[in-house]
Amino acid sequence: MAMTLSQKRQTFSVFRYAILTVWLCIVAFPMFWMVGTSFKPDREWFSWPPVYITENATLRNYAIVWANINEYTKADGAHIDPKTGELSQYTQSLQRPWTALRNSTIIAGLATTLAVIFGSVLAYGVSRHQILSESRMFQLLMLRMVPPIVLIAPISLWYRQIGLLDTITGLVILYFLTSLPYAVWMSKSFIDEVPREMEQAAEILGASRWRTIWEVVLPLVRSGLVATFLFILILTWSEYLLALLLSKAEVLTLPVELSKYQGSTEGRVYGRQAALSVGITIPLVFVGLIIRKHLARGFSFGMVRR
Amino acid sequence: MTAENTLGRNIPESGRAASRALGIKRFKWTVLTPFLLLMAFILVPALLGQGFFSLFQFSIFSMGDDTGWRSYLNASEWIGLELFIEVFRDERFGAAIIRSLLFATGSTLGCFIFGFGLALLMYRPFRGQGLYYIFFILPMLTVPIVIAYTGEMILYQNGPLNDILSRLSGMRVEAQFLYKKEIALTTIMFLEIWNWTPFSFIIMMAGLAALPKEPQEAASILGANKWRIFWEIQLPLLRPVIMLALILRFLEAMAEFPKTWGLLQGGPGSATETVPIYIFITTWQYFDISYGAALSYVVLVMMVAIVLTGIYFLQREKKNLDAMYFSKPQESE
Repeated sequence: MAMTLSQKRQTFSVFRYAILTVWLCIVAFPMFWMVGTSFKPDREWFSWPPVYITENATLRNYAIVWANINEYTKADGAHIDPKTGELSQYTQSLQRPWTALRNSTIIAGLATTLAVIFGSVLAYGVSRHQILSESRMFQLLMLRMVPPIVLIAPISLWYRQIGLLDTITGLVILYFLTSLPYAVWMSKSFIDEVPREMEQAAEILGASRWRTIWEVVLPLVRSGLVATFLFILILTWSEYLLALLLSKAEVLTLPVELSKYQGSTEGRVYGRQAALSVGITIPLVFVGLIIRKHLARGFSFGMVRR
Repeated sequence: MTAENTLGRNIPESGRAASRALGIKRFKWTVLTPFLLLMAFILVPALLGQGFFSLFQFSIFSMGDDTGWRSYLNASEWIGLELFIEVFRDERFGAAIIRSLLFATGSTLGCFIFGFGLALLMYRPFRGQGLYYIFFILPMLTVPIVIAYTGEMILYQNGPLNDILSRLSGMRVEAQFLYKKEIALTTIMFLEIWNWTPFSFIIMMAGLAALPKEPQEAASILGANKWRIFWEIQLPLLRPVIMLALILRFLEAMAEFPKTWGLLQGGPGSATETVPIYIFITTWQYFDISYGAALSYVVLVMMVAIVLTGIYFLQREKKNLDAMYFSKPQESE
């Protein structure tokens, strides 16, 4: 039986919504589970059959993790050191989410700002005066693509020698270097789109090159730079390996703070992990949705032409 | 640079060009010098240190409390290339490389197939497109370590995934997605695919949206069907974007650490011990800094080779694209 064109279209439309909805479930379920678990009371974390929507929603997980409300009791298990009767060392070390949040914000914010400022100036040079050849621009990608694990041990020893281990500066330097390739490529894609007439006018009026950059070119691509900033913020905010190995106690970041809950001898604490996870994820989702139209640019290295 | 000629007519052409070139050169080095100094400040000591530790057997346990330069020398003993020979004989390392390659290939292809498929279904406007798009990019915006732990909550034996499978199949499913040697790596691979399908998806969406319409319309007027248009027109035009999606994802997957480590620390047994995990364990759990350094050097050389190959292909695609783009009369852009 032959189908008419409009029937074909309709079949395709149904088929499309079906597939997309299946994928939507796959994408949304872990998110739903994370948020759901963060509101579950302790006894429902491991119950069988699993509780999908809890009827005993509680804010206790958030209170314990974020508000530092010390509700640990003996009933909660071994959170109390049996010898001293005090909170165990382990539990104490966990109660610093706000410190971690502060560190994460400062480190990611600072490294990203530096990368965008430096990267956009470099991108201006490349876009207008070819100060780096195309090959050099691609080689710049090595900074991000060679896995940091191969150099992290000597860097950590070197950092210890020069007093950068476990400092904000130490992490900012490395985050700056590893996010620079994306910063240069992405801001270049925006600068390339700006017509040169304005700069030429500024030049005729006698503005120096730096003044032209700061007062003409970069303001013209302001929204592009904001997109670049947020894009790189996503990468630096979620970085785990460098933060884990180069910060010991002082400058732990949110992903490291979260990972401390895992290796515990005190059993899994899913609800608390989820409550912390929600807090780590919300800012990124927010940021990502703001720049959703520009995400492709960050990765596309001039390969997508509009 | 002919545009400037009208402005500086009274300045001799060669002198003006020379001073301009000098200005650009000065600008170039003003920008690049701090960057190169910073690189040298971090990377040179790191590479030298790595070289030292791989040629001298260093024992952190015989070092004592003093952490000055001298104590590193005192705790080290010249052994030449012995560690490198050991690396090449190390079966555990060989297995780790194979695992990493399998993991990277599998997750790259997975991300690409799902991402491209979804992009093909979605790139033409339809009702709800924007909303689906927002949801589909969410995994990319989730911190990898969060994915690891949320993954565990879902995948563990009494978790919701087993429950859903049980309900669908009508019998009790008790799959140990994480703690069974045979499937642990595949499980992590699926988490990686979940995490990074949005990456392929947004790149392919952008690529499909940027395709020129004229060739497709022409082909369709000439009577080509949808499949032929896809295979013979769309796909070849998409080649640069496809290469990009594959290469970048492969390189990032080779370095994947947070999910693999956060969930299983290389276990069960050594089922998920990829190259980054093996280096990590050697250096930070066995504290065998020297062997870790030798391993790292070999992996560094290997990865640089892989990355350069990837870059070479990307650069070639970009060059072809530029040639095509600039040879066209520039009417629309």
